[in-house]
Amino acid sequence: MNLLEVEGVGFAYGRKPPVISDIGFPPLAGGQLLGLLGPNAAGKSTLMRCIADGRADTGTIRLLGQELAAMPRDERTRLVGYMPQTPPQPSSLTAYELVRSAAELTGMALGRGEIDALLHSLGLAVEAFRPLSALSGGKRQLVGLALALLRRPRLLLLDEPTSALDLYWRNIVLAQVRRHLAEAAAGAIVAFHDLDLAARYCDRLVLLDHGRVVAGGSPAEVLTPGNLARVYNVEAEILSGADGRIIVNTLRPLVAHPTHGESRC
Amino acid sequence: MSDATLASQFARISRRRTAILMAGLAALLLSVTLDLMAGPADLGLADIARGLVDPAGMEPRFRVILWSVRLPDALIALGVGAALGLAGIEIQTVLNNPLASPYTLGIASAATFGAALTIVLAPAIPWLPAAAALPAMALAFALGAGGVVLLVTAALGGVRETVVLFGIAMLFLCEAATALLMYLANAEAVQQIVFWTIGSLTKAGWVELALVSLVFALVFPFSLRNVWALTLLRGGEEHARAIGVDVARLRRHAILRVSVLTAFAVCFVGSIGFVGLLGPHIARLVIGEDHRFLVPASALGGALLLSVASWLSKSLLPGVIIPVGILTAMAGVPFFVLLIMLGRRAGR
Ligand SMILES: Nc1ncnc2c1ncn2[C@@H]1O[C@H](COP(=O)(O)OP(=O)(O)O)[C@@H](O)[C@H]1O
Ligand SMILES: [Mg+2]
Repeated sequence: MNLLEVEGVGFAYGRKPPVISDIGFPPLAGGQLLGLLGPNAAGKSTLMRCIADGRADTGTIRLLGQELAAMPRDERTRLVGYMPQTPPQPSSLTAYELVRSAAELTGMALGRGEIDALLHSLGLAVEAFRPLSALSGGKRQLVGLALALLRRPRLLLLDEPTSALDLYWRNIVLAQVRRHLAEAAAGAIVAFHDLDLAARYCDRLVLLDHGRVVAGGSPAEVLTPGNLARVYNVEAEILSGADGRIIVNTLRPLVAHPTHGESRC
Repeated sequence: MSDATLASQFARISRRRTAILMAGLAALLLSVTLDLMAGPADLGLADIARGLVDPAGMEPRFRVILWSVRLPDALIALGVGAALGLAGIEIQTVLNNPLASPYTLGIASAATFGAALTIVLAPAIPWLPAAAALPAMALAFALGAGGVVLLVTAALGGVRETVVLFGIAMLFLCEAATALLMYLANAEAVQQIVFWTIGSLTKAGWVELALVSLVFALVFPFSLRNVWALTLLRGGEEHARAIGVDVARLRRHAILRVSVLTAFAVCFVGSIGFVGLLGPHIARLVIGEDHRFLVPASALGGALLLSVASWLSKSLLPGVIIPVGILTAMAGVPFFVLLIMLGRRAGR
């Protein structure tokens, strides 16, 4: 059975024009990681929220064959681990308290050892009892990731999970996500700005621009100089690394074109 | 750090927090005792202990002082303080705003307006039993204001900025209406209104105490049922929703609880300075963000603040009773600043 099907999804905030329209891609299977690419304001976060809330204006989203819109909240939030783009807010709350409260609320008999293991694996053990306000942005991002991974969800939705992480932790985190996908036959949609990272860890990519799918497929199919020029407005060459991996070498920004980025509204 | 697991470290932290709560309860007992001993009539610890156990054996004059004045006053300080402290922590957490207090929603101002209206209108309505009408009107207006805030919250889907803005609009509206009444009223009525606004524990007796206690006892278990969700909410609304918390509902229910608690707390004693702001802040500095402890600690903090204020109001200046509403602010602020500075130094 397909893990996740997304077809014709569109969404508008209030009465404004839709920010995403007719978004769809071939079904996601267990174990697969789909990278979501696109410039700022392309609609990546909006699409993630639509899937996480099981709510869109148009189109259908099915998880394990079931309409997400019709799924009870409890079941949906148990199956879907969503990490919002904004990390947990700084306060005197500690990482352990936050993760523990989430564990208690799930109503699942989560062993205490699992929280321990999760925080250790994300390098948060030392900071577990420090206030979130004393943690770096990257550490708080990892706390957000811990919340999403906690219930071993069948679908992970990670909104720019590595944007504040250093080189080491970017790779650790994505390797861990891949391990989770393999172990739990889960799927993941991960939003990226780092194209090399996306190419390295994703099975498939979807490139969004102005709320629409511009390209989809394998990293080699999506990361082409033409697509990058069209969507990101840069001139780039695609190199291949020692193990055949794709490396994007950005040469220079192209002349600004009027409809690029957030200025469009 | 030792090789203890995080879970066992957390258990140890939780035990320490339980101990802090117990210490708080002991402090509360101490402050109630001091409060009972304070006052013009010379009643020592032994007299009070004997009088509490065996009222019949007490000299009638002292019996009246202990059982009709000091005990209800001391206990209403606890009830009102606990109610405002509890309301304070709930509103701060669900509105994600450290400056929010039970007063933010305009409920206390509505109570003041209800009281002022009664004071101004009472002479014109001879059949109105003034003693009962004052708190009843204050309560009615406070609950009415709470109901309106709740309706608006529900209608707007529980967006927190709008709740705060609406509450503040309500607050200014009620204050303007009260000011208008005072402008029109005679000097005696104005003085009465001012006195009500300052807040005093002496207006309340056993019936009022029973009502406030009952409301607190009814609401508190519902607050406790939400402690994990409230803790999670401290990480931010989006994360709480992702875990499956119905944040809009949590917020609606909390506002309902806060409205009822605040209405009953202020209608009998007037609007008592910012116990509902201070109690939760002190509790948070002392005990942390785990709402299993923070929620009871805030109630305890509010009760302790008001109880100490009640004691100080009688014992600070010999022969003078300072209104407790003034004292909570004047003694509470320096204490609060001190705590914040200590917290800074401890790196929190
Ligand atoms: N809560 C919101 N209300 C109104 N507009 C929004 C909201 N969130 C995002 N948008 C708009 O939707 C568009 C897509 O935003 P977003 O999904 O955050 O893009 P991305 O994550 O790709 O940067 C942007 O134009 C943004 O301004
Ligand atoms: Mg985004």
